[in-house]
Amino acid sequence: MTDITTAEPALELRGVSKRFGQVVALDDIDLSAYPGEILAIVGDNGAGKSTLIKVISAVHRQDQGQVLIDGSEVSHFSPSDARESGIATVFQDLALVECLDVSTNMFIGQLPKRGWFVDRKRMDRETRQFLDELNVTVKDIHTQIGMLSGGQRQIIAIARAVRAGARTVLLDEPTAALGVRETRHAAEMITSLRDAGKAVIIVSHDMEFVFSYADRVQVMRLGRVAGVRRVSETTRDEVIALITGTKRENAA
Amino acid sequence: MSTQVDDIVARTPTPPKQSTGGGSFAGFVHRNTQLAGIVIVIAVLVVVFQIGNPIFLSFPNLMELLRSGTLYFIIACPATIVLVSGGMDFSIGAVFAAGGVSAGMMMVAGVPWPLAVLGGIVIGALIGVLNASLSVYLKVPPLIATLGVFFAVGGAITVITTGTTVYGFPSAFTDLGQGYLLGVPFAVYYAVIVGIVFWVLLEKTELGYNARAVGGNRAAALANGIRVSRHDLIVYGLAGAVTAFAGILAASRLSSADPAAGGTSLTFQVVTAVIIGGTSLFGGIGTIGGSALGALLFATINNGLAVINVNSLWQNIFVGTILVVAVAIDQARRRRQFRSRR
Repeated sequence: MTDITTAEPALELRGVSKRFGQVVALDDIDLSAYPGEILAIVGDNGAGKSTLIKVISAVHRQDQGQVLIDGSEVSHFSPSDARESGIATVFQDLALVECLDVSTNMFIGQLPKRGWFVDRKRMDRETRQFLDELNVTVKDIHTQIGMLSGGQRQIIAIARAVRAGARTVLLDEPTAALGVRETRHAAEMITSLRDAGKAVIIVSHDMEFVFSYADRVQVMRLGRVAGVRRVSETTRDEVIALITGTKRENAA
Repeated sequence: MSTQVDDIVARTPTPPKQSTGGGSFAGFVHRNTQLAGIVIVIAVLVVVFQIGNPIFLSFPNLMELLRSGTLYFIIACPATIVLVSGGMDFSIGAVFAAGGVSAGMMMVAGVPWPLAVLGGIVIGALIGVLNASLSVYLKVPPLIATLGVFFAVGGAITVITTGTTVYGFPSAFTDLGQGYLLGVPFAVYYAVIVGIVFWVLLEKTELGYNARAVGGNRAAALANGIRVSRHDLIVYGLAGAVTAFAGILAASRLSSADPAAGGTSLTFQVVTAVIIGGTSLFGGIGTIGGSALGALLFATINNGLAVINVNSLWQNIFVGTILVVAVAIDQARRRRQFRSRR
């Protein structure tokens, strides 16, 4: 891996705050995600992880602070703006439309068109081609998502997120409710995204997963950054202490 | 790395290759179960009615049946897209009356009929946009928003017309709804055109794909960059326009526009026809073909019961039963299809 201190972050947050009424969901958050690196965001429920992901993907808009992509500030007005600037998000629950098939799900919101009509053939062809590139074997891309298992859906969701050539990929609880084998498949995909030079950000409760695959871990606690560590230089105990607040320090 | 999703296929009861079906794999399953059921019900009814009175299958009666069916079908087309988008439209009856009455009043006031027809359609579209605005901007659930609009618009029409029927239309206008071509009422041709247009819209265009995405998972659609609010405005606006057009056609056929036309009965009949046709009440799933069969079923029951001289009140008992059965089938299918939901 390259020395991350010299590389420019693909995505950077500076002093981002978000309030919902009286509740401060995010308080002065800094975050840097580098190309070719998996950054894990961990924290207890209510630590602000989901809000953070929603701010990055422009589902929410921050009250204060900046979002920078490749060093220059961007202002996202909608999720599609965020995606156009190279940020792909795989949400835990809102990733896919169950009643639509694999092929259509790959292109929701960006349907290829021929004149007035949706170019179904191109959609199918590119879906097959793209899944092949990722070594994901789906024999029938006309299978409805609702017929797939959780792991299969997750893999399709990740595939879709990177299809549009995103440089930063956010994954919200990518292994929640997945079996052991499915978790390994998802992990392989995530690792290959990193190897392809993407900046990967995963929000996860799964410490096993974080310590097996992430390069750095950023701990959130009560809407603030409780600490940032390289996985190789920290221990599970330390991270858990940061999560629960038994160990404190200023934002790294 | 090699990420195999090899058991995707193993888990799926290998559906027949359907390369043209597009996003309508769901529709494919439908056509094979629920729609086959409707066809059988219609076939049985046809046999019963034909035995009851041999006039039933005569050409003039079939044309009459088709003509009444077209009324439901034309309105059911945009209603299908509204329901597939996860919405609901209870304002149908009032928009229907508003279309006929407003176009009628314009003609009586001396507006040339083509402009009056256009004016009526525009008023319908505006009411539709109002429906969508209430749910998009004020967050009123579509069911309540459209119900409120139903009452408000219905009331407004009664006030404006003082409840009296509007009549005195130019014959060029009344010919639209009363004419025949090759022995078939014009209305049937309109219905075929509207049906084809909406089939293409739902199955082949971005609007249709977005409808299924928005109805199937609104949050996902939004997160994936579909402009959901804009979609709602278009779909409800379209529904208003086409429903008003149907009201204008009815005014043309009857040479008069009744402020009390449509009403709750039309609203419920159209929504019921759409749901019987396999469109899911919960969005995402539905086809124009299914709605055509639903409308045909309605027209068959209406016409047949009249032909064999059975009290038309039986119609409601029939329809109520079929509706509940149709939704029960929809629920069972959803459970089966999405059983693997994590």
